[in-house]
Amino acid sequence: MAIAIPPEARSRVERLESIWKEGSGIVGWLTTVDHKRIGILYFFTSLAFFAAGGVEALLIRTQLIGPNQGVVGPQTFDQLMTVHGVTMIFLFVVPMSVGAFGNYLLPLMIGARDMAFPRMNAVSYWIYLCSGIFIYVGLFTGNGPSAGWFNYVPLASRAYSPGPGIDFYALGLMFTGISTTAAAINIIVTIFKLRAPGMSINRMPLFCFAFLAVSFALVFALPPLNIALFLLELDRLLGFHFYDVGLGGNAILWQNLFWIFGHPEVYIIILPAFGIATSIIPTFTRRRMVAFPLVALAEILVAFIGFGVWAHHMFAVGLSSVTTIYFAAASLVIVIPSGIQLFAWITTIVTGTPRFQTPLLWIIGFIVLFILGGLSGVMFAAIPFDQQLTDTYFVVAHFHYVIFGAAVFPLLGGMYYWFPKVTGRMYHEGWGKTSFWLTFAGMNLTFFPMHILGLAGMPRRDYTYGGDLGWTALNAIETIGAYLLAAGLLTVAANLAVSLFRGAPAGADPWQGDTLEWSTSSPPPPYNYAVIPTVTSPYAMWDREDRDADVRNLAEGEKTLEQGHETASTSVVDAEWDEILEMPSRSWWPPVVAVALSGVFAFILLQRWLAAGIFLLLTFAAIGGWHWKEPQEA
Amino acid sequence: MSGSVTRSMEATTNRATAVVESSRRSMPSGWIGMILLIATEATLLGCLIATYFYLRFKVVDWPPPGIEKPSLTLPLVFTGMLIASCAPFFAGVQAAKAGLARAAWLLIASATAIQATYLGLQIHLFIDDLNKFAPDETAYGSVYFAMVGAHHAHVAVGLAFDAWLLAKLLGGLTNYRLLGVRVVALYWYFVAATAIPVVLTQLYPSL
Repeated sequence: MAIAIPPEARSRVERLESIWKEGSGIVGWLTTVDHKRIGILYFFTSLAFFAAGGVEALLIRTQLIGPNQGVVGPQTFDQLMTVHGVTMIFLFVVPMSVGAFGNYLLPLMIGARDMAFPRMNAVSYWIYLCSGIFIYVGLFTGNGPSAGWFNYVPLASRAYSPGPGIDFYALGLMFTGISTTAAAINIIVTIFKLRAPGMSINRMPLFCFAFLAVSFALVFALPPLNIALFLLELDRLLGFHFYDVGLGGNAILWQNLFWIFGHPEVYIIILPAFGIATSIIPTFTRRRMVAFPLVALAEILVAFIGFGVWAHHMFAVGLSSVTTIYFAAASLVIVIPSGIQLFAWITTIVTGTPRFQTPLLWIIGFIVLFILGGLSGVMFAAIPFDQQLTDTYFVVAHFHYVIFGAAVFPLLGGMYYWFPKVTGRMYHEGWGKTSFWLTFAGMNLTFFPMHILGLAGMPRRDYTYGGDLGWTALNAIETIGAYLLAAGLLTVAANLAVSLFRGAPAGADPWQGDTLEWSTSSPPPPYNYAVIPTVTSPYAMWDREDRDADVRNLAEGEKTLEQGHETASTSVVDAEWDEILEMPSRSWWPPVVAVALSGVFAFILLQRWLAAGIFLLLTFAAIGGWHWKEPQEA
Repeated sequence: MSGSVTRSMEATTNRATAVVESSRRSMPSGWIGMILLIATEATLLGCLIATYFYLRFKVVDWPPPGIEKPSLTLPLVFTGMLIASCAPFFAGVQAAKAGLARAAWLLIASATAIQATYLGLQIHLFIDDLNKFAPDETAYGSVYFAMVGAHHAHVAVGLAFDAWLLAKLLGGLTNYRLLGVRVVALYWYFVAATAIPVVLTQLYPSL
C-alpha cells in the first residue's frame, strides 16, 4: 500500500512537485537527469538493439535452415554473426540490466531521490547511444566487423582485415566502455552513499548486492578490454606491433587481455539477473529469501572468482599443462557460490507459498535453463572435453543457455514484474503466461539441438554446411525454434505495449512486494518519495510500522527535504545520516559531451588526427563547462 | 531529526566550508567516485605494464639488437620531481580544509608549476627517444611508447584539472570546490604513485 498523503502534508507534496518538475517535450528528455527517465531511455534504446540483434540472429538461422543456402553470402554472414554477438552483449544485455533496470530501480530500492551523479548518469546514456550508432554505421555501410565477437588476431589485424570493420568494432567498444565504466562507478557510489538512513549494508536488498558486485566487476574488467582494443588500434592505425609475431609481438596477448575481461563479463551479464530473481522470488512465494547473508556473499564471490578463470577459454591454444590445470580447477570452484544461490532460490520457492504468476514463471524457467547451461559449462572445465569441443556448436549451445536462459529470462520476468510500477498499469496475465511458454519452447528448440550438432562436430561461425553430413534435420529444427522464439518475444512486446494503454490500473503495490519501490505511487513521482523512508530490514515493505512512520513523518514535515532538489546522504556501512545533498537538475552538457566524444572517435576512425584532437579539446571544454555551475547555484 | 543534518552544499564561504568539512562523518560521494576512477585507471596502467613483461619474456633480446638500453638518470630525477609535487598539493588540501582559500591557491599553483615542468621535460625526453627508435619498428618500441605515453596523458589530464581548479578557487571556497581540491589531489597522488612502476618498467633493461 502506498503512503497516503495526510491533508496537512498536501502543501509539502505540492512544493516537492514544483521543485522536481521535469521538463516537457523533446528538450525535457534531452536535458533530463532523472534516473527514471534515463532508465526508460536505456530501456527503449537497448530494446531497439535487441530487435536488431534478433533480426541478425534470424538471418543467420535462415541461412542455416538447410545445406548450401544462399540467403546471405559468407562475408555478410560473418558480419551478421559478429555484430549479433557484439549487439547482444554490449548493446543489449549490459545496458538493459545495468542501464535500464539498475538506473530505474536502484535509487527507488534504497530510498534515494536520484543517482549519486545525475549528470554523469545522463552522459553514460548519451555516450551509450552514440557508441551503438557508431558500431551500426559500420554494419549499414557494409563495413561491419567480421572477426567474431572476440575478434582474435591475427585475423583482426590490418593484414587480414584491411577494411575499417575492425576499427568500428574496436573504437566502438572503447567508446561504449566509457559509458559503462561511468555507469558502474555511479551505481557503486549511489549504493554506498545514498541509502536511506537506517539501511545499513546488511539491510540492503539482495538486488542491490548483485548490482554492487556487477559494478565492481565492470570497474576492473573493462580496462583489460580497453587496453586490448587500444593496442589493436595502435597496430592497425599507426603500424605498431603488439600482436605481430614477426616483430616481437604476440597474438596470444590479445586472447589473454580479451578473456581477462571476457570471463568476468559473463558474470556481469548474469549477476543482474540473479538480482532480479532474488527480488521476484520473495514477493511471489510470500517469504524471505533463504540464507540471505550467504546469497549476498555468493553474489560478490561469483564476481570475484570470475576474474581468475579466463584461460579456460584458451585450453585449445597450447598453454602449459600447469596453467590449464590451474584454470580448470578455478573454473570448478566457481560452481560453489553459484550452487549456493541456486539452492537458496529453489529452497525459498519450495518452502514458501508460490503464486505461479508470469514473473515467477520466468524465474523458474531461468533456474531450469541456468542449471542446464551451468552443467554444460562445468563440462568445459574437463580439459580434454574442452579441447575436443572448442569452436563447435556445443559452445554456442552452452553460452546461449547461460546468456539467453540465465540472463535474458530474468530480464523478461523483471519487465513483467516492474511493468505495473513503471507504467501504473497491469499487463495481461494470460498472454504473459503464453509468451513465457512460447519463448521457453522456442529457446529450447533453438539451442538444445546445438549440443548434439556440436558433439557431431559442426563448427560454429561457418556460413553453411554440406548436405551429406547429417546435420540438416537438426538445423531445420533450430531455425523453426528461432522463429518460435521470436514469436514469444513479440508476444511479450505486444502484451506490454497494449497493456500500456489498456491495462487495468495497478495501484502502488499490486504484488504485496517486499522492497521499497512498492511504497511509492505507480509511476513514481520525479522525487520518488515525499519523505525519505524509514528502514529497519531488507524487506522494507513488509515492515508495517516503518511505513506508518513514513506517514507520520510526512504529516510532521520530518525527513521531507523540501528546500530544494535534495536527497539524504549517509555513511557507507551503517547508513547514518551524514548530510543533505543538493542534487543537480536539467542540463544540456551530457548530450553535448557525448556528441563531442562521437567526433573524437569518428575522426580517429577516419584518421583525421587534427580534427580528432579538436573534438577531444571540445570534449574537455564541455566537461569543464558542465562542472562550472555548482549544484547549489542551479 | 533532519533538522540537525548539514545541508553541505549551502557552504559557499571559506569559513562555512571549513565548518562543514570538520563535521563530516564519512567521505563524500565525489571522493569515493574518484577512488573508483583511480581503481579503473590503475587497472589500465597495470594491464600496460603486464603487456610489457608478457612481451619481454617471450623473446631473448630485450631491447632488440640495435636499440640502446634506456639511460637511468633523467627519468628517475623527473619522477622524483613529480612525487615531490604531491607535498605542496597535500599542503594545499589542508589549507583548503581549514578555509584558507588564498594559501590553498598558492600551494596548488606551485604544485601545478612543478607538474607542468615535469610534463614539458618528459615530452622532451619522449621526442628524444622517438629519434632513437620508433614504435612502428619493433614490439619493444610499441610497448615502450604506449606505456610511457599513456602515463604522460594522465599527467596532461591532471593539468587540465589543475587549471579548472585554480580558476574556480579565485572566487574563494565552497563545499563543491573543496571537494574538487580533494579529488584532484587524490588523482595526483595516484599519478605520482603509478609513475614509480611505470618508470621502473621503462628502465627495466638497464636496472
